[in-house]
Amino acid sequence: MDLSRLDRRIIFLIIAIVVIVPMLFDVTPEVQITKDTEQIFDAIDSLKTGDYLMVSFDFEAASFPEMRPLASVILNHSFEKDLKIIGLALFSEGTAIGYTLLEQIAREYDKVYGVDYVYLGFRPQYVSAILGMGESIIKVFPEDYLKQPLEKYPDFLELENYENLPLLVSVADGSLPIHWADYANARYGQRVAVACAAVMVTAFKPYFESGQLIGPAAGVKGAAEYEKLLGYEGAAHRRLFTQSVVHLAIIILVIVANVSAYVWRKK
Amino acid sequence: MRTRFPIAICFVFGIFTLLQYFSKHPTLTAMYAEILDWMQIVFVFTLLVGVISIFKIHSAKISRQERDWPYSILTILGIVVMAVLGFGYGTEYGSPFLWIFQNIQVPMQSTMFALIAFFVASAAYRGFRFRNKEAAVLLITAIIVMLGRVPLGHQISDLIPQTAQWIIDNPSTAAKRGILIGIGLGSITTALRVILGIERSYLGGRS
Amino acid sequence: MKGFKVISILCLIVFFVPLMAYSQIEDAELSDTPIFDISRLPVFIATLLAIIIFFMATYLVKARAETKIRKVAGLNAVDEAIGRATEMGRPVLFTPGWGGDIQRPTTIAALNILNLVAEKTAEYNCDLIFPTHDPVIMSAAEETIQNAYINAGHPDQFKPDNIYYTTSSQFGYAAAVDGAITRVEPATVMLLGTFEGEALILAETANSVGAMQIAGTDSTIQLAFFLVACDYTLIGEELFAASGYLSGDEKIVSSIKAQDYMKIIIIAMLVAGGILATFNLDFLSEWIL
Repeated sequence: MDLSRLDRRIIFLIIAIVVIVPMLFDVTPEVQITKDTEQIFDAIDSLKTGDYLMVSFDFEAASFPEMRPLASVILNHSFEKDLKIIGLALFSEGTAIGYTLLEQIAREYDKVYGVDYVYLGFRPQYVSAILGMGESIIKVFPEDYLKQPLEKYPDFLELENYENLPLLVSVADGSLPIHWADYANARYGQRVAVACAAVMVTAFKPYFESGQLIGPAAGVKGAAEYEKLLGYEGAAHRRLFTQSVVHLAIIILVIVANVSAYVWRKK
Repeated sequence: MRTRFPIAICFVFGIFTLLQYFSKHPTLTAMYAEILDWMQIVFVFTLLVGVISIFKIHSAKISRQERDWPYSILTILGIVVMAVLGFGYGTEYGSPFLWIFQNIQVPMQSTMFALIAFFVASAAYRGFRFRNKEAAVLLITAIIVMLGRVPLGHQISDLIPQTAQWIIDNPSTAAKRGILIGIGLGSITTALRVILGIERSYLGGRS
Repeated sequence: MKGFKVISILCLIVFFVPLMAYSQIEDAELSDTPIFDISRLPVFIATLLAIIIFFMATYLVKARAETKIRKVAGLNAVDEAIGRATEMGRPVLFTPGWGGDIQRPTTIAALNILNLVAEKTAEYNCDLIFPTHDPVIMSAAEETIQNAYINAGHPDQFKPDNIYYTTSSQFGYAAAVDGAITRVEPATVMLLGTFEGEALILAETANSVGAMQIAGTDSTIQLAFFLVACDYTLIGEELFAASGYLSGDEKIVSSIKAQDYMKIIIIAMLVAGGILATFNLDFLSEWIL
């Protein structure tokens, strides 16, 4: 049997099994902290109590399972440090997700809306929104997600534009951090840290190397490393075992395909 | 008039956007902020074009009873129901709109996203073959990086994550920089062609 | 008279913007800020240089009779791909990806290629399907394809229903295009534009229906997926060169030439920067940054 021409449905079935079965076991593998995750952790950790931190939920509903642990560790860290969080979304689908997550985690830390955090909601056309906030945040977001004028929150009035913002974190599943780098960093000198989907790391690498972006904490592994830095083992740790098994399964499949193709060519 | 007018608008706003980058003068900054506002307003109107297109195509499918036409009814129903719920009861936390979004849209989209895992496996199975020296390099690199990005690699040997990181930091980033510079230059010349009115494909015509 | 109308409407708009802007900056310190921001001088010089090179390349290409562009395998395959679809009696599906909008140069490059592909499908009497996630791209594509069919002398074959908007949601778009590929089983799928997470899903689905795939994108991360899953892949700037290569249009060819000249300058700066950095001389990089 020529295994190198295996029906794709069999491959799909194998992947389904190797994803589902490891989830049944409670195994938390040992995580090594990388310098990338350490960079974004340090950037947030170096902020002082009461500093502003903008968190942009730049992802869509589809990638929520991968992005949730990342967004959670960032928010946990920020609330622990008593930073003033300004949430927003540049994808419409991330709007409700970002708000729900922010509310949930804020409740765990007894934080008050309008005092410790606000949620600006969504603006279409991310390029103009990013550029617009460099001029005036209140002009781009005259009202928050709850339809209240921003003037209602005196704790956030000092934040006029990027000038009073020591750090911005883009929690992104796609290429939006590049736009943050191109427009907020290059044009306004805004420091931008990134927590992104694992697949995007290499795309952003030149920006991290040049210092235009900070980080990244990437994917479930990045979230697990961040959890370790915060001193706990959460959801990301539990998912890592499944990820390891799937990676191994794909490697075995590739080896099987190559060996089989070689044997059949010989025959 | 049909092409000259948009080209003239494009030229004026293109040159202005380019030049204002080099100034922090409040008049120019305020003008720029004004243009950004306009962009957002125009964008909202373009969505209407999309919705009209969906209605037009799917209602034609229904009236002609083309293949799979019942799905067209579902599509139109989806738009109408979400619009009615959104405008009628709002999109805030706890609204029916958000309930549908979180309980139907999110799982459906996540399912589509999860397909990537299956397709990565099938594409890797088909594509990663030891055909020649270059393919061999691709195959070995892929295996090292895949192992290096999960704790398993570290458990086998510390050398695996270190090599994976080296590959990402050096050859991969170097190649990406080369590609990015090329893309950047391509973008610059395309943008210049658009601003100068040489490039007209965005108006539906040949350059 | 037409020119007068254009100028009048333009003046209205051009004067309207500063008027609106000025109303908001009554209290601003207008006189204290200099017009030119000196910290952006390096970018200004680079911009000026790019514009000069652009015009110089246009002049040089015009002066010379012929400018050669190296062969790009993926573009040579366009004819073969459309011919294949015609022989099989199946359509060609062209989609520009979810990542771009009409402002993005990649989308403009994709529309240029679409124009040439549409002329060929019109010539061969082959159906062309164009799903997109952006209503503006849809409108531009509709006009592009219609004009191409008119230019090819087959306006009657143009089917506006084949150019449609799906949804702005990424994986909603992926599902819609996937569905179209599975239902109509196109003989050729062209994935040219800015792609993100949907790239591999579309490429693998196209492969599953036996379609020939020509892909090209500026998203470096998705290039890896396209290279493994597709028959031909245009890498980054090849996408921008494609329309010049296919059409031989002098103006586009000259901009490709301009890119080459700019690349030579960048390479020279990289080498100079590398040498200076080796000797810890940071004045050039400090001035640029």
